[in-house]
Amino acid sequence: MRVRIGQGVFVTPPLVLVLLLLLGPVVLLSLYSLNVRTNIPGVPTGVSAANWKDFLTGHGNPFRARFFYSMKITLLVSATATAAAYPLAYYLAFIARRFRYVLLLLLITPFFTSYLLRIVAWADVMLNDNGVVNHVFWALHLRPQGDPVSWLLYSNFSIFLVLFYSWVPFVSLPIFAVLENMDHRLIEAATDLGANRFITFWRVTFPLSLPGVIAAFVFVLIPTTGEFIAPLYVGGPGNQLFGNEIQAFFGDSPNWNYGAVLAIALIGVVLVLMLVFGRFLDTDLRQPGVEVGP
Amino acid sequence: MNLVYRLGRLTIVTYFWAFILFLFAPLLVLVVFAFNKSATPTLPITAFSTRWFHLAFSDSELTTALVRSAEIGVATGLFATALGVMASLGLSARRLRLRSLIVAILLLPLVVPYISLAVGLLILLNELGIRISLWAVFLGHSVVALPFSILVVLPRLRSLDPAMVEAARDLGSSEIGAFNLVTLPLLTPSIVSSFLICFITSFDEFAISSFLAPSGRPTYPVFLYAGSRSPGLLPELIAVGSIIIVASLALIVVAEAGRRWAERRLRGETRVVDQPTAESIGLLGTQV
Repeated sequence: MRVRIGQGVFVTPPLVLVLLLLLGPVVLLSLYSLNVRTNIPGVPTGVSAANWKDFLTGHGNPFRARFFYSMKITLLVSATATAAAYPLAYYLAFIARRFRYVLLLLLITPFFTSYLLRIVAWADVMLNDNGVVNHVFWALHLRPQGDPVSWLLYSNFSIFLVLFYSWVPFVSLPIFAVLENMDHRLIEAATDLGANRFITFWRVTFPLSLPGVIAAFVFVLIPTTGEFIAPLYVGGPGNQLFGNEIQAFFGDSPNWNYGAVLAIALIGVVLVLMLVFGRFLDTDLRQPGVEVGP
Repeated sequence: MNLVYRLGRLTIVTYFWAFILFLFAPLLVLVVFAFNKSATPTLPITAFSTRWFHLAFSDSELTTALVRSAEIGVATGLFATALGVMASLGLSARRLRLRSLIVAILLLPLVVPYISLAVGLLILLNELGIRISLWAVFLGHSVVALPFSILVVLPRLRSLDPAMVEAARDLGSSEIGAFNLVTLPLLTPSIVSSFLICFITSFDEFAISSFLAPSGRPTYPVFLYAGSRSPGLLPELIAVGSIIIVASLALIVVAEAGRRWAERRLRGETRVVDQPTAESIGLLGTQV
């Protein structure tokens, strides 16, 4: 773009919006988490880290336990979704040839349909006791007629499946981008020098695609850390995620002060993940000379 | 060696198509059940019927929730895109103080979990003494949609050839005139993409709506959540859901075809650098 001194002033309105409606809430959450403000009538306010102390160090704190449980699910989903997406991206980049962009579109379209509707589909017509999956088992005589598989729904499995299903199309993209833009001469060189296809893949293609793999992993990790919608539909009382705990503190029996501790802790964890992994995202989002990426 | 290679290739091809089946199966099943006469969405299919569509469209609570979400979606699409274009213009200025800090703040909504933002906004409204409202939902959606708009518009803006704007200025155009005549038309494909992404983000957003939409005026996702709990409503919701799924699939295909067509046209006329990868990744930031 043409250089004009003062063009920078255009960032002001969007910046004000984000400061007001994003940083504002974060600051208020912090104040609530430290008991500087409260929503509970009659409770004296004043700086107190009691809720923080309880959450971080309280013996057998259920919310801390719930956080670690959530992180386990999140890491499992991120790792398996990335691993499952790799062969899809590989197929598109190296085997599909002419129609690869059409097939890429086919692969990613489910991601653009409503997230809620996809969850409803799994919860209410696929995995339920009288659902399609059980009917398939019955038809194939894998289960006695009318006897549903008990762990298909309201289980760790159903939460894992729904999140995995939702994220695989999306994370095949960064991997595809890296494979597609890879310098094919390097692969040819390996072949010319006598490496077979598997050694070429293992020693050349795969190491070169690692930035895309890490980007894919982070692309699932960041949003699923705060996930709370899927457990509402397909989780039982025992497998709600950390996000659901936050939701509960602002729901029917509100304790905004404790809820704010969890909400800020969640933001903190995601920011740390971003600081650790964020630099791997630059390869895909940043163009020369453009600063895109926190 | 050749046989092993062929087998490996066959495995990957089979895997790909099996995965496509896995991805589309729940969507197809939903559409099929929308036409099933039975009052419970389950196998076997009893008879073909469109009664659930008729019932759904005569359910005023459902239709007003849909219209409400569509309105908020359009408003969010327009507002967030306008702000995204402004942010992109500002960020492409050569001199900009605290640039990295500004970029970090503008992209922050990508990393703050929706649930934390939703409860934070609830506290903010409470502190300001403002009641929850659809306006608050719209503003919340605009904040989360803004980074997507920037990620779509900024790379396109960067890829424009500065010589074209300079040419317009040399030929006597004002700065605003050059922007309107040269920059804006060249940005149009990315502006359309941005609008669609922001619309979809808002239309499907649950966390913020569930806290900020007043109880008598739910957005479609909030209505869907409450409704899917009552078995009587489920067939109607599936009918409407299948329409939304088919419509969004069609929209994606049309939008992508349109984007390619526009890019080919622009490339024919000007020196626009094609950046499909960066753009589609930015574009696919939805739901992050």
